[in-house]
Amino acid sequence: MSETGASRHDPIPIGEIAAPPFARLPDPSALFAARALRFWALAQDHALAPYLRFLGHLSECQHRLQEGLPEPDMPAADMRARAREHGMPPLDRGRFTADAALDVTLDRLFALAAEIDMPDSARAALVRASAADPVARDAMVRAVLADAIPVETVADHVYVAAALQVHFARMAARLDVAVLVPVGEGACPACGEAPVASAIVGWQGAHGARFCTCSLCATQWHVVRIKCVLCDSTEGIAYQELEGGAGTVKAETCENCHGYVKILAQQKDPTLEPVADDVASLGLDLLLREAGYRRGAVNPFLLGY
Amino acid sequence: MNMELSRRTFLKGASAGLAGTTIGALGFGEAETAYAAAIRPFKLAGTTETRNTCTYCSVACGIIMYSKGNLAKGEKADIIHIEGDVDHPTNRGTLCPKGAALLDYVHAETRLKYPMVRKPGSDKFERVSWDYALDRIARLMKDDRDRNIVEKNNDGVTVNRWTTTGFLAASATTNETAWATYKVVRSAGMVVFDNQARV
Repeated sequence: MSETGASRHDPIPIGEIAAPPFARLPDPSALFAARALRFWALAQDHALAPYLRFLGHLSECQHRLQEGLPEPDMPAADMRARAREHGMPPLDRGRFTADAALDVTLDRLFALAAEIDMPDSARAALVRASAADPVARDAMVRAVLADAIPVETVADHVYVAAALQVHFARMAARLDVAVLVPVGEGACPACGEAPVASAIVGWQGAHGARFCTCSLCATQWHVVRIKCVLCDSTEGIAYQELEGGAGTVKAETCENCHGYVKILAQQKDPTLEPVADDVASLGLDLLLREAGYRRGAVNPFLLGY
Repeated sequence: MNMELSRRTFLKGASAGLAGTTIGALGFGEAETAYAAAIRPFKLAGTTETRNTCTYCSVACGIIMYSKGNLAKGEKADIIHIEGDVDHPTNRGTLCPKGAALLDYVHAETRLKYPMVRKPGSDKFERVSWDYALDRIARLMKDDRDRNIVEKNNDGVTVNRWTTTGFLAASATTNETAWATYKVVRSAGMVVFDNQARV
């Protein structure tokens, strides 16, 4: 074929066509480092700065402890196949059993967290959590995974929850994203846990699509926009933010279930991070609670709201 | 979500005399209280996002319209932004130049809000009633059809073509509306025609 006329070039895109994937698995080697940076950036000018700085350091511990960790035990292939067949998540939190990798993760987290400058009650909780015998430790792991953290020992469980975030993110990262299936409204397709927040992403090929982020394993899954992520309703959805806000962190409120989950405009501000910005936008939760809405998101760093 | 709800109830119920939040339990209660006090004077500002279909051609792209002001609470709503609907299978977030200008159509001063006519010889449009407009359109269409209908082609086969009047119908319609539109327009013999039923 002769090459005459104008030189050949790729078709000129006349619009960014979005083809969002169903899910995106976490990258634990970058996830917690980015979260730590975001916590610290948010702490620059914030009334909750001491807490945000503390969580920044905790996220840094979550990042640093991963160096040379043992491989996590994955659920057997036939169990995962059966879960998929019945629309269940491959990582079953109810049947989870601690393995060597989790024990090392917990030990390292306790050791690294001890170096953080923190209030006395946080220090006391860390000492209690790290001194727990195997039975008590197992009970704490189960309480976190069952979303049933006892109110008297919330602080002790924060460290265990942080270690489980690392462990489940590492397990989720080892799944095959192509075999994940939807497992229900507001439930992570990898581990079944509730989202911490959702975000309109600016990813190449999926910009403008909304993804929920799992509060436990940080897997992100696609959810149609303008739809309650808790009850699936498309009626009476509104977006609330603090008056005069930048329009990047809003709560998606639902008049059907009177719940809400925050939605981050990452396509406007790519630095937004679901866990960090959820904590830093606590003011939204305070005002929405007065307005009679129920917080539907799960975040171990923000229990009680 | 029941498990999550029961946990919250438990936390609330048991929080009397105990640190009821993670922040308080970790010893950051002072910052938490200061922050809550600082937030108190703020108000919530609400926007809504509404799915709709672009009406400007029969492709019928999905759009998301952002508005301020809650109609359900008796406020006046104002559209502030329109973008392509990423979740819509037809356009997957894209819009053509017409669609990209939708916000300007909505707020255009010259936007058509009622029937108007520019009579022969006049240099301006004037407002007319719906009754007048429908009667006049029907009259003109009938006259044009009576004058120009092609009943048979050169071979003497009955064709009943009416080619001198065209019909452009809306795209954001239901199947039933599109069906009825199609039947009415085509039975009159009209061939210059576009509506949702084409796609």
